[in-house]
Amino acid sequence: MRMQWRSTGVKYGAIMQTNLQNQLAYLWDAMGRAVFILLIMYIFAQLWTAVYETRQTPDIAGLTLANTIWYFLLAEVVELGKFRHDQAISDEVKDGSIAYTLVRPYNYLAYHFANGLGETAVKMFLVFVLGAPVALHFAGLPTVNVAHLPLVALVMGLGLLVDFCIASMIGLMAFVMEDTFSLRLIYQKLIFILGGLLIPVDFLPDWLQRIARVLPFNLTTYAPAKLFVAFSWAQFWQILLLQMVWLAILGLLLWAQYRWATQRLAVNGG
Amino acid sequence: MKQLKAELTFLRALTAVNLSSAMEYRASFITQIVGMFINNGIYFVFWLIFFNQFGAVRGYEMDDIYLLFAIATLGYGIGFMFAANSGANLAYLIAQGRLDYYLVLPRNLLLHVIFSRMSVSTIGDLAFGVVAYMFTGRFHPLDILLFVVSSVLAGLMFVGFSVITGSLAFYLGNARYLSQQLTNAILTFTLYPNTLFSGLARFLLFTLLPAAFIGAVPVQVVKTRSGLLLAGLFGAVVVVWGVGTAVFYLGLRRYESGSALNINI
Repeated sequence: MRMQWRSTGVKYGAIMQTNLQNQLAYLWDAMGRAVFILLIMYIFAQLWTAVYETRQTPDIAGLTLANTIWYFLLAEVVELGKFRHDQAISDEVKDGSIAYTLVRPYNYLAYHFANGLGETAVKMFLVFVLGAPVALHFAGLPTVNVAHLPLVALVMGLGLLVDFCIASMIGLMAFVMEDTFSLRLIYQKLIFILGGLLIPVDFLPDWLQRIARVLPFNLTTYAPAKLFVAFSWAQFWQILLLQMVWLAILGLLLWAQYRWATQRLAVNGG
Repeated sequence: MKQLKAELTFLRALTAVNLSSAMEYRASFITQIVGMFINNGIYFVFWLIFFNQFGAVRGYEMDDIYLLFAIATLGYGIGFMFAANSGANLAYLIAQGRLDYYLVLPRNLLLHVIFSRMSVSTIGDLAFGVVAYMFTGRFHPLDILLFVVSSVLAGLMFVGFSVITGSLAFYLGNARYLSQQLTNAILTFTLYPNTLFSGLARFLLFTLLPAAFIGAVPVQVVKTRSGLLLAGLFGAVVVVWGVGTAVFYLGLRRYESGSALNINI
């Protein structure tokens, strides 16, 4: 049993490493894509500086301007770095190549997870490295307690898992829809507002905050970004509990959808 | 004049073929349009929440956002619904040596290439632009006329700029991502109040990255009903298209055929 776990770990580790090497081999290409963070951070810094100036207040909902700017950097690190495998799944379903990938000696979804992990690590690192100077310029050093960083990393990891489940479900919807483009677009935009990417959840009207805080969208971007700039134990435990609950729900739904989809798959010819 | 008429007839036929081809997959056609409409709607919701929570920012209010979104999305819709083979797609065609198919045909090369693809989702932008305009409450015939003209000019600006970014592939090789980034940049800057930007950033928005001529200036044209500003906007579009055409045809001299087997149906 232990041997089996070990060989499984080695297998998916190798998949992750391969993609990581692939990303590092085309580092300039990956950096070119990450450059967008410079632009978006500049715009966010201008917008929120104007807001704080207009309101003439040192903080909004407990966040100072510096907190807010660093919050957006972390939120963008997750958003621009996270898995993009839903398009790959959708394409494989549409062109039929999923028939070949399903018979390979690995779990299809676990493969996409391990494969995406290597890419995500590189992308998140690059986005942070490129965006940090902009945040430093406009906000100075963040007020972060280093002891909290592993906990923020844990929340970020679990948030990525939540996102992985949702993105996989969108990709697998290609079994029933010709194009999952619109679903992806809508999910992305839900992250923008309910996930706190364009505006921190704390800044939303109370009624919308109550809704946003129980939905899974805030668990990927808002949760790690907020804990990074303003860590509180109460919020940490609350987020962790919600992440566990949503992971159980989404994991179950994904498993059911995956089973249904693979049973529905008909392969003709060779 | 006769040649212009012939080109327009050809472009109309090309668009009709693209549209029927896109409508072949009916469900995908509808979901893409609805998806884009909702996508824009969520941005709209963001600004509604933003102004509701924080009030006007540097002179920009929700009414300005209604007009900004109406012009930018209608312009984007008009531009890329018909000419989607610009920007990153154009860069890809050039880098892959896939212009051969167009080069042997007796039509205006640039127009033929960029009008050969339709972006279905932009119909959602187009519809959204019209709906967003309803929120502005500007129903005087002159306002409506200025809105339509400004949006068409914004669309021309979008496509003209995309011709420049796509043509960079002639000089840089694989400029697909660069082109995509530049298109994203101009779109992003367009959809934010331009009063946020000053100094060098503001200068760039009126020159190298002409987002001001897609959002801020057309908004002012409608708000102030200024003929002079409209003429200025028209002039900027002519300049961008002049540069785009020059960059494309000068770059074409450097074009190398990809010898790829290319079938266009």
